[in-house]
Amino acid sequence: MLQAIGLSKYYASIPAVENVTFDLKAGEILGCVGPNGSGKSTTVKMISGLLEPSRGRVLFRGEDIHRDLVGFRKNLGYVPEEPNLYPYLSGREYLEMVGILRGIPQSRLGKKVDSLLALFSLYPSRHSAMASYSKGMRQRVLLLAALLDDPEVLILDEPLSGLDVSSALVLKSLIRALGQQGKAIFYCSHVLEVVERVCSHLLILRQGTVLAAGPTGEIQRRIGHASLEGTFHHLVEDVDPDKVTQEILDVVREA
Amino acid sequence: MTKRTSLLSKWEAYLREPFPMLVGLSMNRIFHGSNSSEEEDVNLSMGILLTLLAIPGGFVSIFLFDKYGSFLQWLRGQTNFDPIAAALPDEYFFIVLSMVVTGGVAVWWWDSIFPDRRDFANLVHLPLPASKIFLANSVAVVISTGVCAIDVNAASSILFPVVVGGSQTQLSFVVRFAGVHALVVVLASIFSFFAVFATAGLLMLLLPYHLFRRISRYVRTLIATMLLATLATSFAVPRMIEGLPRSLHSPLRFLPSAWFLGFGQLLHGTSDGALARLGHVAVAAVASACAVAAATYTLAYRRCFVRLPELADTPTGNLGTRSSSIFRLLDLFIFHTPFQRAGYRFALKTLFRNEVHAVSLGGSLALGAVFASQTLLSALNEKGVSPRPTAAELSIPLILGYCLLLGVRFVFDIPAHVQANWIFRFLLDTNIHEAVALARRIMLCFVMPWLFLAVLPLYIHFWSWTIAFLHIGFITVWFVLLTEVLLVGFRKVPFTCRYPPFRPAAVVAVITCVLGYFAFTAMTSELESDALASPIAGGFCFVISLAVWYAAYRIRRRALAGENHLMFEATPAADFEFLHLSDSG
Repeated sequence: MLQAIGLSKYYASIPAVENVTFDLKAGEILGCVGPNGSGKSTTVKMISGLLEPSRGRVLFRGEDIHRDLVGFRKNLGYVPEEPNLYPYLSGREYLEMVGILRGIPQSRLGKKVDSLLALFSLYPSRHSAMASYSKGMRQRVLLLAALLDDPEVLILDEPLSGLDVSSALVLKSLIRALGQQGKAIFYCSHVLEVVERVCSHLLILRQGTVLAAGPTGEIQRRIGHASLEGTFHHLVEDVDPDKVTQEILDVVREA
Repeated sequence: MTKRTSLLSKWEAYLREPFPMLVGLSMNRIFHGSNSSEEEDVNLSMGILLTLLAIPGGFVSIFLFDKYGSFLQWLRGQTNFDPIAAALPDEYFFIVLSMVVTGGVAVWWWDSIFPDRRDFANLVHLPLPASKIFLANSVAVVISTGVCAIDVNAASSILFPVVVGGSQTQLSFVVRFAGVHALVVVLASIFSFFAVFATAGLLMLLLPYHLFRRISRYVRTLIATMLLATLATSFAVPRMIEGLPRSLHSPLRFLPSAWFLGFGQLLHGTSDGALARLGHVAVAAVASACAVAAATYTLAYRRCFVRLPELADTPTGNLGTRSSSIFRLLDLFIFHTPFQRAGYRFALKTLFRNEVHAVSLGGSLALGAVFASQTLLSALNEKGVSPRPTAAELSIPLILGYCLLLGVRFVFDIPAHVQANWIFRFLLDTNIHEAVALARRIMLCFVMPWLFLAVLPLYIHFWSWTIAFLHIGFITVWFVLLTEVLLVGFRKVPFTCRYPPFRPAAVVAVITCVLGYFAFTAMTSELESDALASPIAGGFCFVISLAVWYAAYRIRRRALAGENHLMFEATPAADFEFLHLSDSG
C-alpha cells in the first residue's frame, strides 16, 4: 500500500537519510527503530509528505504521493513525535476542527468525537483548554485526531509517549486490531519491547541507512537473538553499556 | 424562525466551514502569539489589547478640548480662528500616533504574522491544499490589520473632529473633517503595518532562515526605535511644514508621516503645491507597502513555511561562554550567594536569548533614548550649555534609567518556557528566598555601570567634577528608590512565573507608568536642580528620598507579613472576597 523507494534526504549535502526502501502492505505493522540521529523522524516526515525527499519516491497504491498530496492525506492518519497542539482550543474543539478540515459531515462528527473522547477517558475534560492537559491527554487527543476519519495508512511517531499504563495497553491492542482490519501502519519508536510485541515487520535504521528490514521473527532468527533488544544491540550499538556505566559512575563519584 | 435568527445560524454554520475555521486559527495565532511563545508571552486577551491600543487616541483628543473650545478662544482673544489651520499640528500628531501604535503592534506580532511550526504540525498532514492555508493566513493578516487600524484610530476619529468642530455652526464641517481625518489616519496605520510586514518578509526571503531568526530581535528593536523617533518629530515637523514651499529639498520629503499630513491637506483642499506632492506620495506609499508585503509574503511563505521541517533539522550554532570572566568578576563583588549567582546567569541568558524578552527590553531602552534625545535637543536649543545644568539637562540619565529599570522589571514578568521552572521549584526553599535581592541586583547592574562609564565623564566634561559627582550621587539614590518601589510585592525568580500580575489591571498599569515617568524624571530633576543651587533644597530632597524609601520598606514589610513564599503560579485577583463580617465580634 505504501512504498518507499530509495528515499534520501540531504541537508547542505550532509545525508540525514540515504537510500531507504521498504514496502508496507495492507494489514502490516512496520516498526521503525534506530538510535538517536538514525533518520527515523526524517523518514517519517518524508513518507507522510511533510518533507520532500532529495532523491527517491514514496508511492501510495502505486502513485507518487506528491502527485496528489491532498488525496494521499485523506487516507493518512498521522501522530507526530511532539504533541504540539493549539493550547487555547479545548480537546473537543480541536477534534471537531480536524474533522471539519478532513471533510467529515458535521451530522456525524459531533457524535463520533464525543464517543471517541469518552472511550479515551477524555470526556470529562472535553471542554477544557488543552493548555491544561497533561502530556498523556494531549497524546490521546493526537491519536484520536489521527483515527477520526478511519484512514487506510497510519503513521505513528512514538505514539505511547506520555500515556499511562491502561491507555498504553488499549493503544497496543488497538494497533494490532487495526492491522488485522487491513490498515497499513508505520510505527516509529524507541521502546523495543512494544515494537517487538506489536509489529509484524521491522525496519532498523542506523546513520540514515537501512541495516535490516523484513518480518520481525525472520530478522531475529537471522541474527540469532531471541529478543529484539539483543538483535538491536547486535546490529546498531557500538558501545559497551557496562563499560560506559562504569565510566559514568567514576565521574559521578569524583570529588 | 425570524429572519435575524436564520441569518445568525447561517453565519454560525459558515464559520464551521473549513476556510473560515482556518482564518480563525490564523487570527488566534496573530492575536495570541506564535508557538515560540506558547503560554509565555504577555498574551493579553483581545479585549484588553484593543482597549490599550485605543486609549492614546482618546486621551489626546480629550486633552485638546482646551485648545479648540470657543469660550477659551474668546478669552484668549482669538476671534479669527481657522480650525483646519489650527488643527494641522494635532492632525500630524494623530498621524504619527496611529503609525507608531500600529507599527508597534506589527513589531510585536512579528513572529505570529507567518504560519508557524504548530500550524505546520497540525495542518499540513491534513487533506488541505497548501494554497488554502496560505490564503486563509493572508485573509487573517488583512482582517487583523483592519481591526488594528480601525481600533487604534476609532476614538480620535470621533472625538478629534468633534473637538475641532466644536466652535463651528455647521454639522457638515464636522462630518467632512471626521471623514478626512479617519481616512488619513487609517491609511497611515495600514502603511505602517504593511511596511513592517514587508520588512519581515523581505528579510525572511533574502537571508538564510537561521540568520533571519538571529537578527530578528535587532531589526525589531531598530524599527521600534525608528517608530518612537517618528513620535518625537510631532513637535518639530508642523513648524517645518510652514517653510516647506520655500524649501524644495526639505528632509520632510522622506518622512512618511509628512506624506500623510500632505494627503490630509489635499483632501481638505487646503494644501499648497509642496504638500500636495507629499499627499500623492502617501497614496503611492500605501500601495507600494501593500504590494511589497504581499509579494514578499508569498515568496517567503513558499521558502520558509513549506520547508519548516527541513529548517527544524538544521543544527544551531554554539552558544559559547565568552562572558565567563565578567560573571566571575560580578560574583566577587555583587552576587555573593549561590542562588544570586545562578539566578543572574539564568536571567541574563534568558533576557538575551529569548526574542520577546530582548525586544521588550530593547523597546523600553529605545523609548528612553527617544525621550532623552528630545529633552536634550530642546534643552540645548533653548540655551545651549549653561554654567549650571538645568533640570532638563539633569533629567537625561533619569529618563534613560527609568525606561531601562521599568523595562527590566516588566520583562521579569514575562514567563520564559515555564514548563522548565520545575528545576527552581525542586531546588529552592520557597519560604526562604532571595528573589528581591536578586532582582534588585540585576536591575541595578543594568543601570549603574553606565553612570560611571558614560554619565560621569560627560558631566565632568560639560560642567565640573563636583557637579558630576553630586549628580551621580543623586541619580544613584533615585535609581535605588525606583528599584525598591518597582520590587514591592515581588517574590519570584525572574521569568519563571506563569501569570503576569499586571494582566488584570493592564490599563491601570500603563497609566501609572506614564504618571510615574513624569514624577520620576521631571520632579526629581527639578528637585536636584534646586538642591544644587541651595543646601536647604538639598535637605528637602534628602527628606523626600528617605520618605519614599521608608514607604516602600513599609509596604514590602506589610506584603511579606501576609505571604512571602516564592511564587510560580500567580493567581489572578479574585472577582469577589468574603468579608467575614460575623467574625468581627
